[in-house]
Amino acid sequence: MKGSLFGKKIIFYIAIILVWQAIDTANVWPDNIFPSPIEVAEDLVYGISDGSLFYGIGTSMLRLIIGLSIAISGGLILGIFMARVETVNQTIGSLVLGLQSIPSIAWVPLAILWFGLTDSGIIFVTAIGAIFAVTINTYTGVKNIDPSYIEAARNMGAKGSQLVTTVLIPAAFPYMISGFKQGWAFAWRGVIGAELLFSFLGLGFLLNVGRQLNDVSQVIAMMLVIMGIGILIDGFVFKKLEYKVMSRWGLR
Amino acid sequence: MGKLEAKNVEKFFEHDGKPLKALGGVNLTVEDGEFICVVGPSGCGKSTFLRILAGLEKPDGGEILLDGKKLDDTGPDRIMVFQEGALFPWLTVKDNVEYGLKIAGIPKEERNDISKRYLDMMQLTQFANSYTYQLSTGMKQRVAIARALVMDPDVLLMDEPFAALDTQTRDLLLVEMQLIWQKTKKTIIFVTHNVPEAAVLGSRVAVFSHRPSIVKKILDINYKRPRVSEDENLIEYQQKILSELRPEVGGN
Repeated sequence: MKGSLFGKKIIFYIAIILVWQAIDTANVWPDNIFPSPIEVAEDLVYGISDGSLFYGIGTSMLRLIIGLSIAISGGLILGIFMARVETVNQTIGSLVLGLQSIPSIAWVPLAILWFGLTDSGIIFVTAIGAIFAVTINTYTGVKNIDPSYIEAARNMGAKGSQLVTTVLIPAAFPYMISGFKQGWAFAWRGVIGAELLFSFLGLGFLLNVGRQLNDVSQVIAMMLVIMGIGILIDGFVFKKLEYKVMSRWGLR
Repeated sequence: MGKLEAKNVEKFFEHDGKPLKALGGVNLTVEDGEFICVVGPSGCGKSTFLRILAGLEKPDGGEILLDGKKLDDTGPDRIMVFQEGALFPWLTVKDNVEYGLKIAGIPKEERNDISKRYLDMMQLTQFANSYTYQLSTGMKQRVAIARALVMDPDVLLMDEPFAALDTQTRDLLLVEMQLIWQKTKKTIIFVTHNVPEAAVLGSRVAVFSHRPSIVKKILDINYKRPRVSEDENLIEYQQKILSELRPEVGGN
């Protein structure tokens, strides 16, 4: 079954490339609008050989990791407080819902004014785009904890931060994972979008350079890289983590 | 020591916006090392009473004394065994059993020795590294009992711990529970709605009235241990309990 699924996917992608090549060969659109898959591949090879692609990926990933770490730690703290302290939920909780509706790109002007065209500005956009998804999922997770877990822990002497680290976080972890997953997706969009507008290194910057040079194959090549990294992180980091947690918690 | 006294304990609940008196002044003295069962009609507040003894809920009136000292919080001197066990699914059986010790800051090697002893006592040694979803309901309750016993509490509070078990498992655990009691000399307060269970376990059986509940009658069961549920001589005791309980079931 697994083998045939993999086979299906391979055939599907080969078909896309063939159709793409066929359209290019038929010369429906000029090359500067619609490049062939070979030109895109050449661009990728060039980026690999001169190292610019790796530098771009490294820069974007570093910003992503810093931004997401801030979002996850901030979101956990905020979410736990919202779930455990009713006043915090009634006040900050409503604000969080509102802030979550702002697309991360809409934070860019503020980030530029506050931080200038710097790394910090891009990290700010990345973190703020992800933090509320983590917060809301953490809140939901903590709210849904079977109260008997908390009572049992209190009964055995757990208080304050012990209760948080030994019960609240592990018990809410399945929900938190969804929050991290959503947070990562928002953060990845945020970092690429911010790099595009800041035009300051990273994959988003390379994408923008492609546009400025009217190099459509570079634009498509960078989009493929952005998508590829998304698929890799989703599949290798989050799916694995999710699977592990779900089976450990007996939810699978 | 573990002499527990409840003096005139009252508790109100909100029901359809109106206060509903659940406990109407419960008086009960449980001697150190005594095994007492509490029975009552469903909804009479016997579980609430147990939770108040544990410190998980505050009484609206009256007081709880342990060896003459007034109680107003949870404490490792009174450990509760919950109806569904309330085991932590993210921990192994061994880590579940050691939870309270870890919270108390007991070093790893000492924890290991203590948990080994109780895992052995509850015949759980071969499941030490299993997760709770891999266990049967009966096994889970054994873990819950072991987790309570490692704390070496003065008082063991048991909230219908065998309600979800099949008959064979329950009969087995009823005998084991008596052996544990004889070995550890704990004070045990065991809430149940199952009259035969109360007759097997209790040295005394306290019958709660319907709401607002008081202790209607305390029956002595002077019969040799360990008792088994199929012993016909216990039927007489069961009938005595039932004759007190029957007028209370079905409200006013």
